[in-house]
Amino acid sequence: MSSPAATATPAAAHEGSGWEKLPYVFAVAGFIGLTVGAFSDLKQFGYSYLVAFMFFLSICLGSMFLVLLHHLFDSSWSVPIRRFLEHIAFLTPVLGLLFIPIAWLAPKLYPWMTIDPNLDHALHVKVALFNPPTFYIMAVVLFGVWALLSYKLRSWSLKQDETGSPECTFALRKWAAGGIFIFAFSLTLAAIYWMKSLQHQFFSTMYGVYYFAGSVWTTLATVYIIAIVLQRRGYIPILHRRQYHDMGVLLFAFTVFYAYIHFSQYFLIWNAAMPEETFWYVLREQGSWWAVGMITVFGHFFGPFLLMLRIDAKLNLKLMIPMIIWVWLMHYLDMQYNIMPVFHTTGIHFALTDLASMAFIGGTLTIVFLKYFHAHAPYPQKDPRFEEALGHGAAENQGDHA
Amino acid sequence: MSKSYGIIAEFDTPADVMAAARAVRKAGFKHWDVHTPFPVHGMDEAMGLKNSNVGWFTFIGGVTGYTSGMLMIWFQNAVDYRIVVGGKPLFSPLFAFPVSYELTILFASFATIFGMLFLNRLPCLHHPLLKNQRFAQVTHDKFYIVIETTDRQYSETETRKLLESAGSKHIEQVEE
Repeated sequence: MSSPAATATPAAAHEGSGWEKLPYVFAVAGFIGLTVGAFSDLKQFGYSYLVAFMFFLSICLGSMFLVLLHHLFDSSWSVPIRRFLEHIAFLTPVLGLLFIPIAWLAPKLYPWMTIDPNLDHALHVKVALFNPPTFYIMAVVLFGVWALLSYKLRSWSLKQDETGSPECTFALRKWAAGGIFIFAFSLTLAAIYWMKSLQHQFFSTMYGVYYFAGSVWTTLATVYIIAIVLQRRGYIPILHRRQYHDMGVLLFAFTVFYAYIHFSQYFLIWNAAMPEETFWYVLREQGSWWAVGMITVFGHFFGPFLLMLRIDAKLNLKLMIPMIIWVWLMHYLDMQYNIMPVFHTTGIHFALTDLASMAFIGGTLTIVFLKYFHAHAPYPQKDPRFEEALGHGAAENQGDHA
Repeated sequence: MSKSYGIIAEFDTPADVMAAARAVRKAGFKHWDVHTPFPVHGMDEAMGLKNSNVGWFTFIGGVTGYTSGMLMIWFQNAVDYRIVVGGKPLFSPLFAFPVSYELTILFASFATIFGMLFLNRLPCLHHPLLKNQRFAQVTHDKFYIVIETTDRQYSETETRKLLESAGSKHIEQVEE
């Protein structure tokens, strides 16, 4: 077994390849598209941007969750993929800047912002949460908390690259233990404020978990593909069958978990049949939204569930790469399904700004991610669990991916 | 002398038995097994064992459970004893889901257990190896490879030679 230092590839050697210019193209093209879109239809721009924002927030928070999980369970298998997860989690401050258009357009996007609470009982009882000052303060608090947590998770890990001290692992464990609570509350608040409050009358105790389940699902797909790319390009040669197996198993688990959560939400609302809850789904049965709901049932759950059921399927790249693209598409549709029916009440409607906002936010985040990635070692160098991540199950590691 | 069940070879370490298992697999044997006091990582690959087929029993059991749950509730509520509850339709897959889901798990678990017993040919009340005095060491510190006489490749002299060359220090015939 070669030592970590010997297997590490100097990141600089790979820098400047043509593919890495692509995010700039996306960001600039997206920015132009968004500018044009903003002038032609500001409301459409706002909702498109919110959908894309929630999509990418999913991946950043999902990555933060996987890092927290790694420390909480003292895992060894996820050591090789942890560094880029830390980078993605630390994109939350960038998302804080990208939130500015939403903050600016909030009175246009969220009907409750411009309703007098004294004339709307549903708003009046929730006015402690849903009032403009709290909305803005909460945004600052959420981004502040995420920035602090993801900064700490990354900086202690980077420090360990230098010192190799187990103190860093202990500190990370403490941050993870407290962080998981902060994570759960902050993600729930984000889902409630930025998505659920589009229809402020709605109740669902599942809503935060629903966003969480979809987020981690999408994150795992993203992590799987990033791992393949980074391994193929020689950045992380220490990825083995075991890592892909575990990522595949988790992706499969979250396929089921999402279905469980979303079914529970729908089932309880359907069973109780109370108008103050059913209106949310009634709106989503109008026109082509009904079809989107069906696509969610069969495409978000049933198809991936059956296809990934076999253990060897989770390691078959010919299946998994199309599956990952499908996962992104499904999560994007899910975000559309949550946000857009308020604006396009009669059915799904795609606009230029939908694509432009995905390109702009995705491009911008990728640019920053690549900067982070090239500035540091591609995987934790002196993690105490490092040898274990490589050594354990060495026989299972025969027949590697790439 | 009674009929022979097979040939048993004793090894002292996991590494020895692993190397021998590779040699036996390469020789093309089908009716053979490795017995160890504890799980040896990588033995599946060394023996050329594929993923167990028990998953198919699980899957078919699960599908049967789900289908029978749905059919049962449909028959009871929408055909046999039609009664409107809570203003809901006489049948909907939504309210039938929790019960069907539970039956999915129940049937899948039963199918898994019985499928596993079937594939392992259990229960097995007696096995020729249990008569073998030396084989008792398998629960202590020895490792064994047993090749059955039913294997097409089996030959009393050649198979013994193969096991000897694989490093076994003690080889004997097992009586039926």
